[in-house]
Amino acid sequence: MAARNSERSFGWVTRALHWATALGVLGMLPLGVYVARMEVGYSNLWLFGLHKSIGVTIFALLAVRIVWHVVSPPPPSLPSDVAWKDQAAKWVHRAFYVLLAVVPLSGWVGSGATGLDVLVFNRITLPPLAPVSEAWETMAFGVHWVATKLLAACAIVHIAGALTRRDGTLARMVKG
Amino acid sequence: MVVFLLCTWDEGSMFYFMRNFFCSVLVWIIVLSAGNAAPLSYTLDKGASRVGFEVSFGPDQITGELPVQSAEITLDFQQVANSSVAVVLDVGNAKANFPFATQALRGPKVLDTTRFPTISFVSTEIKVLPDAPSKARMSGEITIRDTTRPITLGAELFRPADRALGERERLIVQLSGAVSRAAFGATGWSDLVGDTVALDLMLQIDLAE
Repeated sequence: MAARNSERSFGWVTRALHWATALGVLGMLPLGVYVARMEVGYSNLWLFGLHKSIGVTIFALLAVRIVWHVVSPPPPSLPSDVAWKDQAAKWVHRAFYVLLAVVPLSGWVGSGATGLDVLVFNRITLPPLAPVSEAWETMAFGVHWVATKLLAACAIVHIAGALTRRDGTLARMVKG
Repeated sequence: MVVFLLCTWDEGSMFYFMRNFFCSVLVWIIVLSAGNAAPLSYTLDKGASRVGFEVSFGPDQITGELPVQSAEITLDFQQVANSSVAVVLDVGNAKANFPFATQALRGPKVLDTTRFPTISFVSTEIKVLPDAPSKARMSGEITIRDTTRPITLGAELFRPADRALGERERLIVQLSGAVSRAAFGATGWSDLVGDTVALDLMLQIDLAE
C-alpha cells in the first residue's frame, strides 16, 4: 500500500487525511449546532472545549494535507460525461480548502476576541488572533456562522456526487 | 441599652457553611454607659474578610470571591443611624469557581478590571426595621464600572465565637444584597449568565486604638 499518490490513485496518506477530515467535519457540524443552542451549565461546558479541539485538529489536518499535496500531488479528477458536473466538482473542492481554513480560523478569532482563553485538549492554550473586542467577536462569529453553512452545503454536494458517480471515484478514495 | 444590626442568612449563600459557626454567637451589643455614646471606628482585617457573589449559570450557579481592598466602618451603638460603612473591593483579583468564569468576570465584557479595578460601596442611611427589630437595612451607593447606583443591603453584626458577650473589640459585619449587571453595563455573556448577582460581604473588623 503506497503512501504517496500516483498519477491514477490516492496513496494511503491522502486517503487517511481525507477520511479523518470528513469524520471531523461530519461530527462537528451537528456538534456546533448543538453547542450553539444548548443551555450551558457545568455538565456540558466541556463541549465547548471539544468543539474547539476538533476544529483546531481539522485545521491542522488541512495544513498537513496542503504540505503533503505539494510533496505528493494528488491524481487529477476522473472526467465525467457532463461538463457542469466536472466544473461543480472542481469548485466544491476549491471551496472545501477555503472553508476548512475559514471555519476554524473564524472560530479561533471570535473566541480570542471574547477575552477567554482558546483552550484545546484541555491543556494547550492557543494565542488569540484578534484583540479583545466586541466588534471582532461579532464579525468573526458571523463569518463562522455563514462559513459553516457553506461547508455543510459543500459536504452535501460532495457526498451526493461521490455516491452517484459510477466511474470509480469513490472506490479509489477508499481503496487507493 | 441594647442596640443591634441584624439580617437573615440566605440558605443559598456561599457563606452558608459559616452560619452554624456564627449564629451561636449572634451579637446583641450592650452599651453600659453614656461614656460609650461616641461612634467607634473600626479597622478591617483583610485576611479574615470575604465578599462572595453568586449568579445563575443555566441550571447551575457561578460563585466566587471579590477581595476586600479597604473598609472604613464606624459604629454608633446608641444611634445606629450615625453608623457608616464604606467598602472598596479589589476586583482585579476577583475569582470565580472555574477559570473561564474568572476570565470572563475580569474581562471587558463584565467588570473590565483593567479600566475599573475597584468596586466601592458607601452607606448613606442605616435603619433598624421597626417591625423586625433584629434586622437593619443599609442604604447606600455602589459604584461598578464607574457607574454609581443606589442599593439597599441587609445588615447584621456578629461577635466571633471566642469573644465574650458584649465585647466590641472584634466584630463581624455581614452585608447582603444584589445588583443587576445590566444597570452597570456589565452585560457580557447575558445569554449564558443571569443578570442578578447576589453579594454577601463578611467584614471582620477590629476597634481602632
